[in-house]
Amino acid sequence: MLASKSEKTFGAVITGLLILFSIIALIPLLSVISTSLSSKSAVDMNLVTLWPKQFTFDSWKYIVDRPDLWKSFFLTLSTTLIGTILALLMTALFAYPLSKPEFRWGSVIMMAVVVAMIFKAPIVPYFLTVRGIGLYDNPLVLIVPHILNPFNLIIMRTFFKQFSKELEEAAFLEGCGYFRMLFQFVLPLSKAVLATLALFYGVVLWNQFQHPLFFLQDTNWFPLQIKIRQFITDDSVIMSGAASTAQLNYNERTLRAATVIFAIVPIIVVYPFLQKYFVKGAMIGSVKG
Amino acid sequence: MKSIASHQMKVYWPLYVMAIPGMIFLIVFKFIPLAGAVIAFKDYSVFRGFIDSPWVGFKHFETLLQHPDFLRVFSNTLLLGLFKLTIVFPVPVLLALMINEIRKSALKKGIQTALYIPHFLSWVIVGGILFDFFSLSGMFNIILGWFGTEPVLAMQESAYFRPIYVLASIWKDAGWGTVVYMAAISAIDPQLYESAMIDGASRFRQIRHITFPILLPTVLVLFLLDIGNFLDLGFDQVYNLLTPMTYNVGDILDTYVFRTGIQQGQYSFATAVGLFQSVIGFIMVYTFNKLSNKISDGGLW
Repeated sequence: MLASKSEKTFGAVITGLLILFSIIALIPLLSVISTSLSSKSAVDMNLVTLWPKQFTFDSWKYIVDRPDLWKSFFLTLSTTLIGTILALLMTALFAYPLSKPEFRWGSVIMMAVVVAMIFKAPIVPYFLTVRGIGLYDNPLVLIVPHILNPFNLIIMRTFFKQFSKELEEAAFLEGCGYFRMLFQFVLPLSKAVLATLALFYGVVLWNQFQHPLFFLQDTNWFPLQIKIRQFITDDSVIMSGAASTAQLNYNERTLRAATVIFAIVPIIVVYPFLQKYFVKGAMIGSVKG
Repeated sequence: MKSIASHQMKVYWPLYVMAIPGMIFLIVFKFIPLAGAVIAFKDYSVFRGFIDSPWVGFKHFETLLQHPDFLRVFSNTLLLGLFKLTIVFPVPVLLALMINEIRKSALKKGIQTALYIPHFLSWVIVGGILFDFFSLSGMFNIILGWFGTEPVLAMQESAYFRPIYVLASIWKDAGWGTVVYMAAISAIDPQLYESAMIDGASRFRQIRHITFPILLPTVLVLFLLDIGNFLDLGFDQVYNLLTPMTYNVGDILDTYVFRTGIQQGQYSFATAVGLFQSVIGFIMVYTFNKLSNKISDGGLW
């Protein structure tokens, strides 16, 4: 069917607008990247917009040479990895019985899950409870409160419900138990939903800010986001250890820009690998069940 | 009856064992804190705990309503919440309708990738990006300079806080918000469009009479959920965009609870603030659900 002239204009206008929006979405990111790769004088003279001016890696060298930043980086990386694996395990273990009609308390527990999802506990009693179980100033607070999320649980349960009963029944006749069933058959067939939830949990664990801010005092356990927040707000923290000569080719602003990009790199690296999964996962989640 | 129960346990015990860690988690991290909200009606003492602290009735709520800070914080929260519902909420719907009109799949994917990325950055990072963008020698002021306008430190100006808050919300999450709508759109039967095209409906009319009406129930459900979290603006977001200069317009219930409750240790008072927030959210959902049940049958319950 031939599109009429007005149809074509309509399509072109929408395409043009969306391309414009995409560019606008990327501009702040590009601007920070250029700042981080420009010299101090170029930044001070208001020359840097979308492309680096007087290109230099000096800010990056300074940032990459900081041991305290790497310490936070590896702390965050390891809590994210361990936390994500634990979260997937916890979620799968809980979602599996909830997907089974023979699990008798299933509907009651599902109601509790939905209540937990809708009603957020007031922050102060939450703080007191978490402190009460010994997670105050304890690095475990970076992992434990994040290993189960009701919304993700519902996504996984919905996914498990779609498995054919025949496969399970055949395996059960052979004497396979529920645990083996889950780990040997169900989970290997659930790669799409596992990848999606790994992304959801991973992003939350990597980006967490409120928990460490509320619960951690010991600077040794400061994760990346808290460290970056200090870099953004406190000049003395970001410049500590920097030589105080005027010949430096970086300043607080280019350093901040480099730190911000430093913390984004892992997300940008992982993103393309997981992208094909998460839309599918979000679709599963949007189907109410 | 008893034999059925014991049979149930004999065969299905692994299912019950599997559910134990998850149930413990929900109880500890969700339900105990939820029940702990009673301390809003008590004078909480660290030594006595949630249960044994003495009851004081509505004392903390009365203090709250008379507190001069509270009115300012509450109106800030109300205003930002209102902006979020009226300005931020519709953007993903419009974006999804637009993205759906793109026929070239490579282009579509590229646009979606660009629009999704900000969602995966933390508010600390977004704050960092914005502070850089709006700094004196940042891009914002360079562009203002082209038009001969004097540079402003936008992040430190009260007048700019609300627009920046709204734009930052859209920038970070509007793209991601389209995912659910795109899923709903992809479930639409293509035959509807084919017959509409045979009848000579233009693409714009197809959006108006097919895509949008089918999308509407999803929009309504998400809107109701948003109304429930109306006063819940996200601690990370506001905290990371706030400067001492913008406190008068940017201090909200979440940041207020953090200061009074966590930092100053007024546990019962801060819980009362939090509870007030939840109750308003609940009343809003309840009212709007009734309303939407009346208008269409697209309510939450």
